Amino acid sequence: MQMNIFNVTGRYFALMLRVFSRPERHSVYLRQIFNEIENLGLKSVGIVAVISLFMGGIMTLQVAYNMTNPLLPRTLIGLGNRDSLILEFSSTIMGLIMAGKIGSNITSEIGSMKVTEQIDSLEIMGVNSASYLILPKIIAVVLMFPLLYILSVFFGIIGGMIVGPAVGAVTLSDYVSGIQYAFTPYYVTFSLMKCLVFGFLIASIASFFGYTVEGGAFDVGAASTRAVVNTNIMILVWDLILTQLLL
Amino acid sequence: MIEIKNVFKSFENKDVLRNISKVFNQGETNLIIGRSGSGKTVLLKSIVGLFEVEGGQILYDNRDFTSMNTKYRKELRQEMGMVFQGGALFDSLTVEENVRFPLDMFSNLSPMEKQKQVDYCLERVNITDANKLSPSEISGGMKKRVAIARAIVMNPKYLFCDEPNSGLDPETSLVIDALIHSITVDLQITTIINTHDMNSVMEIGDNILFISEGEKCWEGNRNEILYSDNQKLQEFVFANKQYQKIRDDKLNDQ
Repeated sequence: MQMNIFNVTGRYFALMLRVFSRPERHSVYLRQIFNEIENLGLKSVGIVAVISLFMGGIMTLQVAYNMTNPLLPRTLIGLGNRDSLILEFSSTIMGLIMAGKIGSNITSEIGSMKVTEQIDSLEIMGVNSASYLILPKIIAVVLMFPLLYILSVFFGIIGGMIVGPAVGAVTLSDYVSGIQYAFTPYYVTFSLMKCLVFGFLIASIASFFGYTVEGGAFDVGAASTRAVVNTNIMILVWDLILTQLLL
Repeated sequence: MIEIKNVFKSFENKDVLRNISKVFNQGETNLIIGRSGSGKTVLLKSIVGLFEVEGGQILYDNRDFTSMNTKYRKELRQEMGMVFQGGALFDSLTVEENVRFPLDMFSNLSPMEKQKQVDYCLERVNITDANKLSPSEISGGMKKRVAIARAIVMNPKYLFCDEPNSGLDPETSLVIDALIHSITVDLQITTIINTHDMNSVMEIGDNILFISEGEKCWEGNRNEILYSDNQKLQEFVFANKQYQKIRDDKLNDQ
């Protein structure tokens, strides 16, 4: 088991060395990056918006129902929702969800290319297949994840703003006062830094499991599952490390 | 010309190729034949560098591929074209984009010149009205032909084909064989084809290497193959009784 972890880690870093080597043709890579931004980033906007709306609404209700002390101001409901979204939910929880959506997509795509010899085909042409396939995905996800985070915070707050007053948990004016109260801009900076790291982890780990798959369709499916599980664990580990280091 | 000298390859302590030597000539269709599991795909993939050999040399016009560093290998690979068993076309690109891909990556041609070259290659393989289709929308035979077009678009000096007829009907197989042979002769390239299809052997086998259990067993051409007294080769060739009959008929004629 120990040998396996060292072996996999070594192969991951060896692959990353190949990924970050000089591209053959910059214009082709640039085109690939824009394609990946569309495929992996823009096509995730819908799911991020929906999940965040519900997440914000549910968070608002949870805070409201647990605030039984009448001495506490109701504005704390909006504040609690805002800070939870900014600090953890829109970065880490969204990271875990994106590891499932984007990560499995990347592993399946690269894994399928591997088992159908498309990657060998690139190598025979003299193309650095690791760099050509993986680098644009890493750049696209690292660029897009902070934007998805901001979008998630926005929709989360809107979700709370709709659900809280609608069910009578908090008035609109109390909620709005709460989300404006004691705002700490550094929390956003901190979470944006986390998003850059999470974006890299999601794209690189998923690519690694796709690129190293051997066998057929069954193995590609198994690799996708392994990629999502490992990415989730690494996101949580790095969340802990970054929170300790940066907060 | 490609020359392999004493090539040795093993996987997990199992010897797959043992001291195979052979010269593959320019302007000829060179065939590697053998039973399934005999090591012919491993040999082909070792020649193109997808597998690293553990012993021996692979020489491309006297340039030692086995001792080259990554940079020189990448340069040499731009002189190669390969047709994979399943075609290995890129799913996300159209037929035309697949063929243009090597040009986009490595050539400095203008877009118009690239288009001209792509059109020429697609015409060469008799594909005229499928340019904008994706690989999933075309037949197996067409996929092979597009793969051949992509393999020759950079005017390679070396062409490799891994089981080009697998999964194809006999008529389409003949078309693919004829196409590869004519490209080889017209462009004077060194072509190596890995096959176990005896029809291909008899149609285009200019220079044949027969391997069995990872060892070179026999070499010759299509005219000699029916009359060889090599026991393993006979078992392979005459597994199909049709060829036994052809040989007997020819012997009777003589």
